[in-house]
Formats: sequence, C-alpha cells, structure tokens
Amino acid sequence: GQDPLFIFPKDKLVEEGSNVTICYVSKSHQNNISCYLEGVRMQGEQLDPNVSVFNLNHVAFIRETGTNIYCKPGQGDGIKGTVLFVSKVLQEPKDFSCETQDFMTLNCTWDPGSDTGLLKQLSQSYTLFESFSGKKTLCKPKSWCLWQVAPESQDMYNFTLTAENYLRKRSVHLLFNLTHRVHPMAPFNILFKNVSATSATMTWKVHSIGKYYTLLCQVELYGEGKVTQHNVSVKVDGAHLFSGLEPDTEYLAQVRCANGDYFWKWSEWTHQNFTTAEAAPSEAPDVWRNVKTVQGRCVVTLFWKPLSKPQAHGKILFYNIVIEYLDRTSVSEVLSIPAPASGTELPLNQCSSQIRITASNSVGTSPASVLVVSREPGNEEVEEERVKGTEDGFPLSWNPQPRHVTGYLVEWCEQPRDPPCDLQWKNLGPNVTSTVVSSDAFRPGVRYNFRIYGISTERVPYLLARKTGYSQELAPSDNPQVVMTNLTSHSFTLSWKNYSTESQTSFIQGYHVYLKSKAGRCHSGSEKAVLSDDVVCCKYKIDNPEQKTFVVENLQPESFYEFLVTPYTSVGEGPHDAFAKVTTPDEYSPTLIRILLPTVFCILLIMITCYLKSQWMKEKCYPDIPDPYKSSVLSLIKSKENPHLTIMNIKDCVPDSIEVLNKQEGTRKSLTETESTKPTYLYLLPTEKRYSSPGPCICFENFTYNQAASDSASCGHVPVPPKAPPSQLGLLTSPENLLKALEKNYMNSLGEIPAGETSLNYVSQLASPMSGDMSNLPTNPPEPALCSEYKMQMAIPLGLASPPSSGSSSLSSITLLDEGEHY
Amino acid sequence: MRAQLMWRTLPSLVLGLLFLSTPVMGSCLDKDQELLRQLQKQADIMQRTSMLLNPYIQSQGLDKDGLKEHCRERPGTFPSKEALQRLSRQELLRALNTMLDHVLHRLMALQQDIPKAQDLETVNRAKQNIRGFKNNIHCMAQLLPGSSERTEPPPIGPGTSPSPTPTPDTFQRRLEGCRFLHGYHRFMHSVGQVFREWAESPSRSRRHSPRRGLWKGARRVPLSRGNKRLLLRGQLPR
Repeated sequence: GQDPLFIFPKDKLVEEGSNVTICYVSKSHQNNISCYLEGVRMQGEQLDPNVSVFNLNHVAFIRETGTNIYCKPGQGDGIKGTVLFVSKVLQEPKDFSCETQDFMTLNCTWDPGSDTGLLKQLSQSYTLFESFSGKKTLCKPKSWCLWQVAPESQDMYNFTLTAENYLRKRSVHLLFNLTHRVHPMAPFNILFKNVSATSATMTWKVHSIGKYYTLLCQVELYGEGKVTQHNVSVKVDGAHLFSGLEPDTEYLAQVRCANGDYFWKWSEWTHQNFTTAEAAPSEAPDVWRNVKTVQGRCVVTLFWKPLSKPQAHGKILFYNIVIEYLDRTSVSEVLSIPAPASGTELPLNQCSSQIRITASNSVGTSPASVLVVSREPGNEEVEEERVKGTEDGFPLSWNPQPRHVTGYLVEWCEQPRDPPCDLQWKNLGPNVTSTVVSSDAFRPGVRYNFRIYGISTERVPYLLARKTGYSQELAPSDNPQVVMTNLTSHSFTLSWKNYSTESQTSFIQGYHVYLKSKAGRCHSGSEKAVLSDDVVCCKYKIDNPEQKTFVVENLQPESFYEFLVTPYTSVGEGPHDAFAKVTTPDEYSPTLIRILLPTVFCILLIMITCYLKSQWMKEKCYPDIPDPYKSSVLSLIKSKENPHLTIMNIKDCVPDSIEVLNKQEGTRKSLTETESTKPTYLYLLPTEKRYSSPGPCICFENFTYNQAASDSASCGHVPVPPKAPPSQLGLLTSPENLLKALEKNYMNSLGEIPAGETSLNYVSQLASPMSGDMSNLPTNPPEPALCSEYKMQMAIPLGLASPPSSGSSSLSSITLLDEGEHY
Repeated sequence: MRAQLMWRTLPSLVLGLLFLSTPVMGSCLDKDQELLRQLQKQADIMQRTSMLLNPYIQSQGLDKDGLKEHCRERPGTFPSKEALQRLSRQELLRALNTMLDHVLHRLMALQQDIPKAQDLETVNRAKQNIRGFKNNIHCMAQLLPGSSERTEPPPIGPGTSPSPTPTPDTFQRRLEGCRFLHGYHRFMHSVGQVFREWAESPSRSRRHSPRRGLWKGARRVPLSRGNKRLLLRGQLPR
C-alpha cells in the first residue's frame, strides 16, 4: 500500500500474562522510528533496516478497550499503531450450588469471578448440563440459572456448569439428592391470638413442600432485652404459645422454617410485633416525704418515683393518697393525683398521721406505700459528720440500730443550691449499714448533705446520722466581703460576718489575713509570707472558720496598709487579689475631732437659731422707736379737730424717769382740780369711756410697745374688775404693785423678758397730772389706786397738765433707766 | 470520577432545559431573537470538549504523551469559521443541518468501539443535543424571509451523511474518531461565534454562495448523493 509504516499483529486478542511479539515494517530506511506501549517507549530488536520486533512478556490487562501500541517516525506525523486486547483469565465458577423451594424448579447459583469481556470479546457465557437427564441449558445471567425439575421422580442430579469465552473454557460439577436441597420459602400470615397480660398465641402458615415432608420451624421472641427461642414441627400451619410475658410490653416474634427430614437451609425470617395487655401495678410506689410546720400546722410534701415499666404493667393514670389521722379525731382524707405527677404537698389537720399511697392504671391498683408522720420532730440534734466523696460517689455508713428497723433510707438533694433542691432518696434493707450514693448530678465544688433515717416497724422514720461532703473539693474562688471598722492610729478591725462557710466549694478550715506594709515588719501572731508576685507581707492565721472578725494591731500612725482576708481549705486558699487599702490616722486627730465636732455643732446651732429668730431678737433687743407723728392717736386727734391737741414732742418729756407719787390727798385733790381736763383725756381714749369719772391717772398707751395692752383697750395690764372703782382703774392698784411692776420691768430690761410676763409693759414716761411741787405730795390723799403709766404718747395741753418739773428735786423719783437705755 | 461525571452531566442538563423551552418538533418559537439566543447557548455548550471528546480520549486510552498530539482535527472535515461567515443565513442553516447529520452518523459508528455503558451514555446525550440543535435550526429557517413554505424539520436519522473512510484496524479508527470529535467541537465553537454575529447585525444578507465559499481553501467533505440532492433541490430553507 501507500503507507510507509506497518505494524503487526492488528487487534490481537490474548489472555493476561501472555507473551506477545509486535513487529513493524517500514517502507523506507528510516532508523529513527520509535514505538510506544501506552505512552512508554518500547525497546525492540531490529531484524533488518526495515523490520523491528518488540517482545512483550506477561502482558497485563489495562482496559476493556485494549492496550494501545503505536510507532511513529522521527519526522512527520505518520503515526501507526495497533490495539492489543488483553483479556482477564477466565475463572472457574465458585460456590456452585442448587436448591429448590417447591420441588418444581432448581435454582443454581455460583460466583462467576471476574468478567472477561472486552471490546473485541464478549463476556464469558455459562451453560448448565445435567448428565442423568442429558439436558443442557444456556444461562443468560452470569451468576444463576433456573432448572426445571423433571416431572418424574428424579431424586439425583449431576450438574456440570461450564464457563466459556473466546480463549478458554472452565467447568465445575455438582451431584446431589433433590430432597436434601430443600430451602423452604419464608412463613407467612403470622397472627397473634388470645393476647393477655402474660401470654399470647402465635400462628403462621408455610408454603407446602409436599405432604410427606415435615418442616421444622424456629420461633424467636424478643422483648425486654431478652430473646427466647422455640422449635416447632409444622406440616401446614404452625402455632406456638408464648407464656410468662410481661404485661403491657411490646414483643417481636419471628419464625423461619427448614426441611425437618433433612436440614439444608433455613428459610428467611418472617416477623411480627405484638403487645401484651395491661395488668395492675405490681409494686408500691417508692415514696418519701418532707415534713415542715407552717403556722403551727404540719405540712407534708410527698415525693414518689414513677414506677418502672415492669412495675407499672401499663400506663399509670393517677396516684391515690389516703391520710389517716392516728388519734382518730379527724376523718381520713382521700386524694387522687393525676399522673405523671411525682409529688404533692398536703397540709395535715394533725401531725400524727399515716399516709398510704398507691398507683393505679386502667386495670388495677398497686400495693400501698405507707408513711407515718410523727408529731415528734425526730432526732434533729444528730451531729453532722463530714464525708469525702470519691469518683464512685459518697460512701456512707452508720451504726446498726439496736431496735428493730424495717430498713434505712438515705436522702439528699441533688441540686442543693437551686431550690427546689431535687430531693432524692435511697431505700436500703434492714441489715445494711453502709452504701455508696452516686449520681451523675453530683458536681465538684458543691456541698451535698445526706440524712440517714431508720424506718421503724411502725413506719416512722427517725434521723440516725447527718453527713456532708463534696464529691470533689475545689479551692475557694471568692474571698469574703470584708468590712473594716474601728480604725485607729494603731489598729483596725476586720469583719466578714456575711460570709457563709456552708455554701463554699470546700470545707473552710480557717482564714488567712494578709497585711502589706511599707515597713515590712511582722509582729507576734503573724508570719512573713511571700505572695505569688514575690510581695512579702504578714500573714495572720485564723483557725476557726466561724471566727469572722479580726483586729489588726500594732500598726503605725499615718501609715499605709493593704490587707486581704482569704479562706483556706484542704485544697488551697482563695485568690490573692483585690487587697483593700487603709491609711492609719495620726494619734491626735481623734481627740481633736471629739472636741471640734461638738463645738462646731453648737456654733452652727446658735447661728441657725439666731437666723431663724432674728425678727424676734430684733424686737426684743432693738425695737423700733415709735414715731408719735405716725401714731394712730394722731388721726384720732385730727378727727376730733381739736386744735389744742397735738403730739407731745419727745424732747419735751422727761425720759427714763418715773415718778412715783405718794398717796396723798393732795394728789387726789390735784386730780380733782384738773377735772376740766378729764373729758379731753377720756375723749382721746375712747376705749376708756367707762372711766368717764375723774381718773386718778393719765395713761399714755403705746401701742407699739404693748399690743396686748392695746388689744385689751385698757391701760392696765391686769383686767380691772367691773366692781372696781374708777379710782382704781389702771394697771397698778397700789404703789406696791407699781413698784413691784417697775422693779420687774427694770429687771427685765436688764435681762431677758420672760415670755409670760411680756404683759408687764415698760413704763418709761409718766406725765403727772400734778404739779411737781413736792410739798404737795404729802397732801395728796393716800389713793392706793393712783397709778402712773405710760400710755399713748401725746402732748397734754398745758391746761390739763403741768409741765414736768425740770429738776429732780421737785419730785422724789426713782430713775429706772438711763437715757441711753430708753427705747 | 464523580466530579468528572457531574461535569459531563451538568451541561447536558442545561441543554435539556434549553430544549424544553423549545416546543416539540414541528412547533417552533416565533421569536427569532429568542431562538437565536437559544442556538447560541446550545452551540456554546456543544463546543465543550468535556461533552464528548475528553471522555472518548480517556475511554480509548489516547490520553498519553505522544498520542494525544495526533488527536487534532483533519483540515477540511468541518467548515472553517471564515467559511461560515461568508454564507447567508439560509445557507448557513442548511450547511449546519448537513454537518450535524454527518456528526450523528459518525457518533453511531463510534459507539461500536465504546464498551462501557457510562461512556455510551455520554455519546447518547451528545446525540440528543445535536438533534435538539437541528430542530432549532429548522425553526430558525422557518423564521427567515422567503422560507415560510418549508416548515418540516430537517431529517435527523442516519444515512444522510457519507460513511467515514473505512479504516482497517481499531487503532486507526480510534484515532480518526478522536480527530473527528476535535473538529466537531471546534466547528460548534465557530457556529456559536457566527450566531453571535447574527445577533449583533440582525439584517445581514447573503454574501456568497455556500457552494463556492463553504469549504474554500479546504478539502471538501464528500457529500453523499442524497445530500447533494438535498442541497440542489433546496429542501432546506434558502
């Protein structure tokens, strides 16, 4: 042909492991032809300049599409090649077997091994030949074949299975008796009859393999984690009674069968579920209680554990509680608590009572749990002991009781920090004196308290022991909140009374008080300690965990200290952080403070008082001088249009002097003589109209000075009885009174004026109606009612009153106030 | 292997969805722009070598150095892009229809050399894609002016293309098949580009006669007598 290069053989089919020789023939004398097998250059043998051969030994299977071998010249693209089809080696069929399920067909199966199919070759084929009958069949499937059983009674079969491909043929043989190769079909139509709480009857059917054959059936029952097995001989229908079953339990029953005469193979399983009927609960509920007194009344909290499935025998619907009072004074109470409640609180009419608890399902009621609540609180004074928890739990032990007990009970809280504490209990037999309480709920660093009770024959529990402990103690994570008091220059007191030793992560053994100071000296009772940060400080040790106060002494005044109180336990002490700081005061500051503080307080008090009473003080100490020109009297005068009346100038008065006139007739007479003035006077003082009769004195009422007096519309401070004669009107009815009043007024003017005596007015000016002739004084009748009082200041007309004498000699006078003291 | 299978399956799924948007054969979209977009997308997917060439190379053991370099398109097997651009729309569609018939015929021949069912499935999917593409070509031809009288889809069955040159041995046949598939993907790439040009200049008119320009400068693929008759009689829209 035209091609410059030829390769032989073309499309060769060989078996894996064969040796193959490849040859190429080149038309031209080209020496640079290279040949490749799957991309790998082959080294060949050049027979002559145009022919080369390549010997391939033990060729391997690569792919179904064959192995590519190609050659190409050094120049140009004239590639030529061939495909070598390498087949896998045909294997002998394995596990060749034949069996029948119905004596009509034989099902022969085998393991064909690897497929030898290629692009150039079909996969191997299988033929089945039976030598006794001489029949042969081509098996289309590669791993099984059906053979029709001869209608005549042929018991023996001799099969030859032949596998064949293009290159090779392999055969296997099998000789057997047909009755020995019976593989029954799976049973069917499983039914359950007469299903009760503890038994059930299962029936099933089997496919017939002939009336002369008996099947052996195997029945299995799965339930409650157990398996029971039974063998049953079956002709056509099978039946089996399951007994001893648990009530209200789901079971799985399954059955399979084999030829009972000659066992070959079990059939497939056929299974079915069924559930037994409910029954009354078999066990009394496990009940425990907690008794407390609320307002003098016993309140019992009952706890019970739900019955387990084998105990409940069905769905618990409710719990019955019967309370019987032991003293028979109260009627029994019956309660029904719907499930799934696990407890209830019962206020009792009387403490001494017996409580019976039962659980009920749809069929019946369980036996009763009996609890007796006693009026006696029990032995609460049992000393608490410590117990050390382990990985397995808390080992608890107690002394056996001399008196007869029906059992023991251990109670504890699984969540002691979180109320409700999840009360748990464990019942133990009467001969048990130790147990290990374990729970997944136990956590390190949590304190668990255990109480061990003995249950008497009367079902009365009494406390035997109290244990407390940690499953694992942890070092304290917090330090107490410390309060510092009584700080002096040499000491201070630390207190952490709110720190609870019960709720810590381990047993508190005591406290360490660390004190840092610049001096770095440690006094007796303390020792030097080096903290983690290499800080040296003094450490005081408190061995009593209940001692929660400590006095740090021997301090230096005006010094800076840092302190820390931390608890220590068997597993370590609290954290060394957050030192509190304190600076001691100097020695004299407290004394000074004790003096200065009250002083400052008093001054402040006085100042506040003065400020609040300033108006009063001003009135008392610096009253305004009344201006006669502004007096209301003036308006009265003007209203009467009496031109003779005018305001008396203060300069015209004799200030600060009072003349006390002796009771003399002359005085009376003088008054009488000045009778013409009476109307004017009385007119000026309209409130004194009743004194229209000649008065013994002239009163100047000063409303500014004595409001009370003005209100009373009388010049006298003491109300004058109506029976009193006009001559006796006035403030003072006798000279003694006058003197007394004056003395009092004088004294008050020097000091404080008693509040109750403010009605005693200061009488500073006296306009005597008499002449200043002292000689006349003795002549005046001894008028005891004669008085002089400073009333409204005004000028007395000359005709009415004599001007005051300028000299003191005219009158025997008593100077009460200095001029400067005159208000 | 799983990823490879997915890589092969995913474009086919997209193509299938594209075909679903086209009604069954004989019922076409009347929106030429939408149809053109579909043809572009189909061509873009069919140009991917992962759809056909790569699985073929792997199954035939041609993925070896010194061998895969020879898996290149022989000049003249498929029209060049320039040749396609010179055709009028009617001529291009007719040429496409003819070439895809030829591809279908070759694919059926290639299937005989593929023993694995998985690889056979790849070829079958490619054949379905080609048939769908041909259907859209038929619809597009109906929408072109002056071709309303022809509504029947182009025939898609075998026998309308010339038989490939007989190769005496499996190796040469295998190599030719690989070259053919390489050319097929290149051809579909060119077709996609031409369709894209159509979309950019919708009113483009015929420039050259297909018979003069289609295989210009290249060896013409011998057409079967039936195909020649097909072209001469104008059974495909002009």
